[in-house]
Formats: sequence, structure tokens, C-alpha cells
Amino acid sequence: MNDKEIEQILESLANQEKPTVNSQSKMLAMHAALNEFSMLHEDKAVEESLQNKKRQGFLDSLRHMGKAVITLITDVIHIVITMIRRIFMAIPTSKKVYGALAGVVGVTFCAAIVFHLSPLMKPEKTQIIESDMQVYVPKVQPIAEEEMISKTGVASKSDAAVSQTTEDKISSDANFGGSLIDEATTAKPRETIELQQTPVLQDGDAVSQSDLMRSKEVVATSNSTSVQAKGQQTSEQQFVVQEKARGMDLSVTSSMISRAEPQMKKAERKRKVIIPQSSTNQDAIYPPITPLVDRDEFPTSEQNGIKQVSLEPVSTFSIDVDTSSYSVVRSRINSGFLPPKDAVRVEEMINYFDYQYALPSSREIPFKPSITVLPSPWNKGKKLIHIGVKGFDTDPEQQPDSNLVFLLDVSGSMNQPDKLPLVKQSVGLLLDKLKPTDTVSIVVYAGAAGVVLEPTKVKDRTKIITALSRLRAGGSTAGSAGLELAYKLAELNYDKSAVNRVILATDGDFNVGRTGNRDLQSFIEHKRNQGVFLSVLGFGRGNYQDDMMQILAQNGNGVAAYIDSLSEAKKVLVDEATSMLFPIAKDVKIQLEFNPEKVSEYRLIGYETRALNREDFNNDKVDAGDIGAGHTVTAIYEITPVEAGVDSVDKLRYAEPKKVPSNLNNQEYGYLKIRYKLPNESKSKLIETAVTEKLTEPKWDDHSEANFSIAVAGFAQLLKGGKHLNNYSYNDVINAAQKYKGDDIFGYRNEFIQLVRMAKIANP
Amino acid sequence: MSHDALIRQAQGGDKQAFASLLELHYEHIFVFSYQWCGNRQDAEDITQLVCVKLAKSIMQFSFKSKFSTWLYRLVINCGKDYLRSQKKHQQPLHHSSLMVELGEQSSEQNAVPQQLYIRQVLNSLEELEEGFKEVVLLVYAQGLSHKEAADVLGIKEGTVSWRLHEVRKELKDKFTTMRFDDSGGIGGSK
Repeated sequence: MNDKEIEQILESLANQEKPTVNSQSKMLAMHAALNEFSMLHEDKAVEESLQNKKRQGFLDSLRHMGKAVITLITDVIHIVITMIRRIFMAIPTSKKVYGALAGVVGVTFCAAIVFHLSPLMKPEKTQIIESDMQVYVPKVQPIAEEEMISKTGVASKSDAAVSQTTEDKISSDANFGGSLIDEATTAKPRETIELQQTPVLQDGDAVSQSDLMRSKEVVATSNSTSVQAKGQQTSEQQFVVQEKARGMDLSVTSSMISRAEPQMKKAERKRKVIIPQSSTNQDAIYPPITPLVDRDEFPTSEQNGIKQVSLEPVSTFSIDVDTSSYSVVRSRINSGFLPPKDAVRVEEMINYFDYQYALPSSREIPFKPSITVLPSPWNKGKKLIHIGVKGFDTDPEQQPDSNLVFLLDVSGSMNQPDKLPLVKQSVGLLLDKLKPTDTVSIVVYAGAAGVVLEPTKVKDRTKIITALSRLRAGGSTAGSAGLELAYKLAELNYDKSAVNRVILATDGDFNVGRTGNRDLQSFIEHKRNQGVFLSVLGFGRGNYQDDMMQILAQNGNGVAAYIDSLSEAKKVLVDEATSMLFPIAKDVKIQLEFNPEKVSEYRLIGYETRALNREDFNNDKVDAGDIGAGHTVTAIYEITPVEAGVDSVDKLRYAEPKKVPSNLNNQEYGYLKIRYKLPNESKSKLIETAVTEKLTEPKWDDHSEANFSIAVAGFAQLLKGGKHLNNYSYNDVINAAQKYKGDDIFGYRNEFIQLVRMAKIANP
Repeated sequence: MSHDALIRQAQGGDKQAFASLLELHYEHIFVFSYQWCGNRQDAEDITQLVCVKLAKSIMQFSFKSKFSTWLYRLVINCGKDYLRSQKKHQQPLHHSSLMVELGEQSSEQNAVPQQLYIRQVLNSLEELEEGFKEVVLLVYAQGLSHKEAADVLGIKEGTVSWRLHEVRKELKDKFTTMRFDDSGGIGGSK
């Protein structure tokens, strides 16, 4: 390559296409700069005005003094003249001396009074500072606004009254609600901004609640400032600015005492944002829960189809003890809409409920399958094989030690009543279930990740609660940085005998950093192999990334739960805390081989996302679901018995039906195998049992638990479209659920029935 | 209103004047920042830094040099500050994103290999010592004369010429060893 070509390349630098300016960032940058500009110049303006005022004040007092003296002299002269006149009028000589004396005393007395009163008669020294600041209000696009709002949280969204403390200078940025935003987003925030949800006014503000209310009545046109001067000894000034231009009332009350020192350091300035708690503003404080744009994401899942035993005699899947799908569905239906079909995972709906299946006896074989064969409620002639597994429940006395790291998302989007406040409450609830010697740490992430609570023993409860209560939401979402930090902390405090777990609470995705699902997955897998597990608690909606949560929890040997209310938090974190925290078995896989002589077709209900290959069953390297203490897992197959003759799929014309060796019990529907690993082992164990028909046609009442779960399965399938359900309807679900709900101590099953009723009238 | 008058007004504290000044120069600052760091995100951050810095230091502009010269200096300083603060926790800059973005916009067929070269140039500039990158960008990308670039950087004109000479030498070595696929060819683009 010669010099000329090099020169050409270099010259082509000038011909690069120019990047287009993004108007939003331009707006932000200009705002930041203009803000800075006005602050600098107003610093000067304030200084000058203060000096002016001092001078003015001095002149004023001189003038008033002069006035007072003149008045005094006039008064004295007047009195003296009157006295003299009186004395000369009443001439009796004997009393002349007394009269003159009394006169002198009177004059002195009057003079003293006048002298004392004169300062009080001075008019006010207050000076009104003209507000001639130029206001730069760019046209804000709605999207930009939304983004900015998400960055700053409540401050700009709510009907906020901003009260600057006495030291604060009068700033023109009060004219524009977005100025707070700029300060939050500029590289160097100059003032600390405190958000207070309670209407506690600082004494120093000298602004009473009534002032605040009155200020609202002052209606000023867009961007105009009305200045009231109040005559008080402190020369207090109130600036009432009402900002209507952008559809929000932002009243700014700023009080300034003339004694304020202009050289007050900027860093010491403090600005308080006070949100008035008047009832009319209640709604405005919290933005509506339902966002305009629904960006929740769910992995697409097709329902399992009907399989022919002759072609595919073995069904293999991983268990799933997650319950998040049910909560998502519930929150959708309660808001009046049917959930998206992909959001419904039948097995998670079923497993949401705790079933009283037979308990295993020891920790060594930590669970026991209970198998029931029942007629299918939605297909005449078909049957359901109901497999219920109940995990061994640990004795509260024997609860293992825990080393928990809470990783809390405090990004701007968490600033909603059903998010961060609920997270705080949830963590508080979980503390009750831990032993005093357990360790808890808290890591938060927003724009950056940080440790807010070093590993702390649970017995030091106040410290934990204080750390929690200090959390505020705001900023972007650097999830992966937070995740790494949380793992670091968990490893720091790693205890081989304890349960080491990171619990992530978030409302959405990790939009900064290690964002690829695959990347995250391998990271979490790696940590899992090192002994630190991960559970995920999902909150809120609008940006909920269901697939991400699933991937995180599945690969972290943890549970993904969706928490939409305090009662759900209680269910997951208190009632089922042991299940969530303490695994009794991991990589639990279920394989069912069907007997072609008895069963012609089968369909696994749910577990679409958990399907495994047949060969994966015996491969201990393949990860699968985990089961916690006391967890129940239910799997339901719908089968077509050969003798029923109600096959959905036509028989093959040329294939010979296989003969089953006669030494095997031909009463068997199939053969069930469950593989699992104990939490600290890497080699799997096997439980196997035959699925027999000895329980044929039991009385429904004998299997209320199984039947209730079937009703839930029916409901879930209806929500998914009810492809295989014939005429089965919501009413059938309600009837079955009513009939089999049992004791229902916690009321979850009644709630389910209500939910089905809601679903009947919900909008698609 | 003349440009100088606008600056004087801004120096006097006229917010509107300052706003117009920003409006006038924003794109220029942004484009130069973009060339400096090679991706939108950083460029926007740098531009914002420059704007804020401008608010603080507009008072210090004394009309001894051209405003644009002064502004270039400001951008370069901010850019350096920014990169320094980023370097602590990030990988060194990579100019690919700029080119990916621009490559997609580009409608011309032959522009792509050319962009490829530019990317190489920009990336190799990152590897050079301090001071080379700005000279190349000012002279070639911004079209300043050697004298003007020297003014911006506060160095001698001879130093500018020498640095450019060094860069050319460096690039020549680089491209000769890298042996590009000649399918598009640099000749075709011109």
C-alpha cells in the first residue's frame, strides 16, 4: 500500500457519514447546561441582590430614624407649646412652680414613649426580587418524558411541592419541573435530593401547611412567577410558582431569610422534595399500576399434543415446583383481562396449591409418589393418571443454617406500590422464618450495584430493617453487575453446611451488562456448581420478563415465584419458606413408560417447557428441577385405554401392535421412574413403581386432593385455549373445585374459585 | 446578532443567548465527539459534559482565538476526561459500533470497504500514544489546517505535521501487514 492510498484513507475520514443527533439527548444535554448556567449566574445575582439589600436596608433605617426624630421633635414642640399656654392661662403664682415641674416630667415621659415606639413604626425593609429569569422550555416528546420520569421516580410524576430550605437560593429552575431531572441525570449532581413521602415540614422552612395549601390557590399562567412579600421581622419571602404548562401542578415554595449567607457552600445545600398527602393528591403520588405499554414477556409454549404409545412409549420430563405462572395469571384476571396464553403454565398453576399427598418417611428417600387413576372429566372414556409427589418436610428444629444474599432491584421502574414496598415487606416476612444465627446480606442494583447491608446475623434485626427502609428506587438497571456482586458476597460468607442462596427480587430484565440469556445462564450454572443457588422473586408488571426469570431460577437450582400481593409474599416466603430455601433433592426427573397393551395414547398435561429427551433421564449431567422441603409436585397424564376405543388418532394400518411379555402384569398402565440427587450429591438415585389399575374407579371423594388438582389443570388448559377439553367449561371447574376444596386452611382454594368466576367475565 | 455578540451576551448571563449558542454548536460538538469515541452512547455523554463545561467556562473565553478553536479544545479535554473515567472499569474503546451503524445507513455499495478501512484507522488511533488521535481527527475528519490544529492543541505547527507523518507511517505498516481483501479496493471508492 503506497502513501497515496494511505492519504486517501485518511482523507476519507472527512467523508464519513455524520451521525444524526438524537433530539432527546440533545434536549437533556442542553437542559443540564442551561441549568448549570442559570445556577452560576443566579449565584451572582443573589449575591448582588443581597448586597443591594444590605445597602438598601442601611439607607432605609437611616431614613426611618430621621423620620422618627422629626416626629419626635414636632411632638415635643407641640406639647411644650400646649404646656406653656396652659401655664400662662392658669396664672396663680403659688402653683406655677409645680405646674412647670409636672410639665417637664410629662414632656420627658412622652419623649421616652415616642422614642421607644419609633422603631416599631418603621415600614418593612423587605425588598422584592424581580424574577426576570429566562425560561427555556423545550418541547418534550412524551416518550422522552416517560423515560425521564422513570429515571427520577416520584419527583416529577407526582404532584410535588418542592420546598427549598432556607439556605437554598431562589432558583429559576423551579420554573420547570424537569430541572430536578436534570440534576439527577447530570454527571455531577450538585445537591442531594431527598424524597419524603410524609408531609413533614421542617421548622427551618417557616412555611406552614396552610401556606402550602394557599399557594395552590394562586393561579399563575404558564411559566410566570408570582411573588409575594410578607412583612415579618425575618423578611421572609415566598415564591409561589405554579407550573401548569405540562399538565402538572408543581408548587414551589421557597423561603429565604435575608440573613442567609451568600457564601454558603453549594455542597451543604439541601433540597427537600415534599409530597403533600392531601387526599385529592393521593392518586397522583403513585402512577397507575397498569402501564401504557405492556412489555411483559413470556416464553412461547405450545401445549403438549397427544402421543401414540406405539410410536413413543416413553415420556420424560423434569419436575417444576415454580408457582409464578399462577400469580401472573391471577394478577391479570383480577385486573379484568385473560392472561396471554403463553403466560399460563399448567404445571405451575397446579403446583401452586399444597396437596396432602402421602408423606415420605425419611430424608434418605425424600419423597414418595402417590399414583391415582381417575376418569377424565373432559373426555369420556379416557383416564387421567395423577402422579403426586410430596417432599420430605424438615423439622423446624433441624432447619439448616442459611446464608442468604438478597439482590434487590431498585431501578426507577420499581418505584410503584406493588414493587419496592412489597419487596421490603417480603424480605421482612422472610426474616421471621430464619434462625437468629443465619446470615443475611443485601445488595441493590440500579444504575450501579452496591452493598447496602454487609453480612449480618438475623438476630440483629433492627440493622437489617433499617437498611431495608432506607432503600429508594431510581436509575437504570445494571442487573448483571448486581448479580456478580451478590454472588461475591455469598461466596465471601460461604458455609459448606449451610444453604447458600442469592434471592433476586426484580420487576424485569437486566438491561445493562451481561444481558444475553445464554451468558447469564452459564454464569449462574457455574455458581450453582460452586454451591451458591439462586431464587427469583418477580414483582409488578409492565416489564416482567418471565422467560428470563425462569432461566435464572432453573439454572440456579431455585424457585421462581411471582409476588403480586402481600398475601402472596406471605405464602411464598412464610408458609412455604422451607420449601423455597431448603432443597431436599435436586435434578428430579420423571419418566413414565406406557404399556402398549393397556394404553394406546397419552398426553402430558403441562410441563411443556420441562420436556427432556429419553436419554437425558439417566444422564446425571443433565440439569432438572429441584424440590424443596415439603414441596408437592403433581403431574397428570391423560391416557386413552386400549379397551375404551376412543382413540383420537387413527390406528396405523400396517403396523403390528407389539406384544408385551406375558410375565409382566398386564394390569399395569405403565411404569414410573423418578430420578433424583440428594442436595450434596452428584450421583442420582432411582425410585420406581408400576402404575396399576388396582385403584380403578375410586369414589371421587376419596381423592379430593387429586381431583382438586385436576380442576386446576382444567382451568389452566381452558386459559390456554382448551384444545383438548371438549365441552369442559369454567362452570365445571367451579363445581369440581367447590366439591374438592377440602379444609382449605389458608383460603387459597376459595380464592381459586373466585378467580375462575372472574375469568368467566374477563376480557380476552 | 453576530456570533461574538451572542457570546458576549451569554457571558453577561443571558440565558437565551447561551441557549442559542448551544443550539448553534450542539451538532458540531456531537459529531466531533462521535468521531472521538466512535459510539453514540459515549458521544452523547461527552457532548453533555461539554455543554455543562461550556456553561461554566464561557466566561473564560477571551476572544483571543476563534470560538471554534476554543470549542475544539474544550471537546478534546472533556473527551479525554471522559475516556479516563471510563477506562477504570471498561474495555478500551472499539470503533466498530460506529461503523456498524453507519454501514447500515450507507446506501453506496463501495462505501463498505472504505468504512472498513476507516474503522481500522480509528482503532489503530486508539492504540497510538496520546496526542495523535486528536491531530488526525482535527486535520482529516474536521478539515482544519495544520496551523489551526496546532492552535487548538497548543502545540507547534511542526509538531502537527510530524505527528501526521508518524501516523501515516504507522498505518502503512499496519495495512501492509494486514493484507486486506482487495475485492472492493480502496481505489474503487474514490
